[in-house]
Amino acid sequence: MNFTFSLAHLMGGLILLCAFSLLSQRRLAAMITLYQLQALTLSAAAVWQGFAQHEINLYLTGIITLALKGLLLPIALRQIVIRFNLTRAVESTMPMALSMMLGVGLIGIAVLVVLPSTMSAVSLTREDLAIALSVVLLGLLVMTARRSALAQIIGFLSTENGLVLAAIGMPGMPFVAEFSVALLVLLAFLVVGIFLLRIREHFDTLDITGIEDIERRGR
Amino acid sequence: MILLPIILPFLAAIALGVLGKPRQGAIANAALSFVVFLLTLAAFTSPGSGLIHADALGLLFGALTGFIAFTTSLANIGYVRGAESRLTPPLWRLYHALCQVVLGATLLGLYADNIGLLWASVEIATIAATLAVSLPRTASALEAAWKYFILGGVGIALALFGTMLVYLAAQPALGPGLAAMSFSALSSHAAWMDGSLLTLAFVFILFGYGTKAALVPLHGWLPDAYAEGPAPLTTALSSPMLNLALIAILRFRHLMQANVASGGTAMPPGPFLIVLGLASLLLVGFSLSRRRDARRFFGFSSIEHSGIAIFAFGIGGPAAIFGGLLHMLLQTLIKSALFIALIRAAALRGSTAPGNYSFSHLRGLIHSNKYTAWLLGGAIFALTGLPPSGLFASEFIIISQTVQRNPWVSAPLALGLLLCAAAILRNIGPLIFGPAPPHTKPVKASPEMHLVALHLALVVVLAFAMPGPILHLLSSVSGALQ
Repeated sequence: MNFTFSLAHLMGGLILLCAFSLLSQRRLAAMITLYQLQALTLSAAAVWQGFAQHEINLYLTGIITLALKGLLLPIALRQIVIRFNLTRAVESTMPMALSMMLGVGLIGIAVLVVLPSTMSAVSLTREDLAIALSVVLLGLLVMTARRSALAQIIGFLSTENGLVLAAIGMPGMPFVAEFSVALLVLLAFLVVGIFLLRIREHFDTLDITGIEDIERRGR
Repeated sequence: MILLPIILPFLAAIALGVLGKPRQGAIANAALSFVVFLLTLAAFTSPGSGLIHADALGLLFGALTGFIAFTTSLANIGYVRGAESRLTPPLWRLYHALCQVVLGATLLGLYADNIGLLWASVEIATIAATLAVSLPRTASALEAAWKYFILGGVGIALALFGTMLVYLAAQPALGPGLAAMSFSALSSHAAWMDGSLLTLAFVFILFGYGTKAALVPLHGWLPDAYAEGPAPLTTALSSPMLNLALIAILRFRHLMQANVASGGTAMPPGPFLIVLGLASLLLVGFSLSRRRDARRFFGFSSIEHSGIAIFAFGIGGPAAIFGGLLHMLLQTLIKSALFIALIRAAALRGSTAPGNYSFSHLRGLIHSNKYTAWLLGGAIFALTGLPPSGLFASEFIIISQTVQRNPWVSAPLALGLLLCAAAILRNIGPLIFGPAPPHTKPVKASPEMHLVALHLALVVVLAFAMPGPILHLLSSVSGALQ
């Protein structure tokens, strides 16, 4: 049982570390690699939880995560980087040091909020949940700290990994595999949307400035 | 039986997505929406069981959604006729398929007795609505869709996290398994749920579904989505989606309130809701008068009404919740009528494309067509909440409950309502009776305007002479969810 705990925590920690490192990366290629690492760890964590909880659903989640998020999505993202020639560093909205400090603060908040309010739950779930919430918040921070649409998507993908991490840690939760598929549909629309809608010009200057264009034209 | 109105739109979406010319698609869409409307009425006799088990609230708003979808799809036929050249035939097919997907997803969310299914339905509706906003393929439509997608995606992510936390909070009461995700089981076991975890869950739920309900500060997507997408789908059909999110928040609020009432450790949900509701109302109150584009203007007004409903839920008690639900019901009818009329008004002035909805472009409608102008003016006036508008009844209930239960917040509520009403009133005069742009010729009214008249008549009847069965249904729902 102890081994179950420590291995699950190790993988949760690795996922959190990847989410945090996303904050420090300026290059899209490096962010995609980190995301891939995170997704691979997540699939291992799901399979491990499936083994520990004897849940066939979680094995399924692990396999789906491995195939789609660990392999297919990163390939698609790299294709976008190559096709739109986005190899140079991404602009950020705040200094790197500030965003990392905010990140540490968010992790602190997540731990402070989750641990006291889950006294009754199983300890594995509690700590998993604190890690998952940190990953979710860090992903949202990446979305606000980066100006490039693709970097924002990677932030969202990381948030979504945090959600799946929370789901696999819930004792006997139904629909885990279905949830991860439903989230994947959302992600697929995001990534395919970039391909199809060709919002390429917004990648350069980035979106947010583009969005403000609507405001300038007068509401 | 209850499954039919959910499954039919999804199946129809596939057929509409591959077959037919734009006009045929519009007629098929209207016919299908009519069938779905009848099915939502038939659902009252067999509310289902298990995962899809509609309660009275779901059935009532399901029927409303069916009705709005039907009238909107009728008005849509005229819209497609006038706008056929703006999209390619495959895009029109996609558009009609998306109309059905939004309808099916909204009904699924209203009828589901499972927090996971509810979440999935909101996700489907969001994806479909985002795709719809991007359809015109103009730069500003893509920007609006992108904004919608990012904000909506974050909202969906937060809502899922909240959903999982609710499941975890229900563990002490219901144990692992499907029961811990069913609304009816949760609400009867709310007293034994983990209160502090439920509070944490509610914060995520509130911000998650609050994004979908366009509460300030998460409202940014709505005005752009209203202004840029193909009008009937993204405006007239959007109120049912806002209702779905508001009802989700109401249901989770009920869990928390029940936990508090039975001595649980949850925080009372009222203050969260009151603050968000007032923030929405006041932000709209102060920014409404600066909007120049009518679709954006009425988009902001939708934010206002979401805020009023959330505020009423925050005040709590059966009467305030009755007022909030009545407000949603009437607002939905008025808003969809208003947008049907607005689209016709833009058509009178040449084009229904985005960008033709500025107040200065539409002004002096009475010189184009009297019937359209009067009905549009009536619909806009109804939004202010002054009598004889039906919203007067619901706002009166909400205000009197606020004075009774929480008098301190009645001042900002009244200020917000007055500011919004003043901003709306200020626009009616020039829009309807002002001098028309040069070379304006009188045009014949189109038959869609009768739908607007029907909606407005329904609003007055529902507010001041509500039929007994509906009144009974609505008050039993508000009593159960207090």
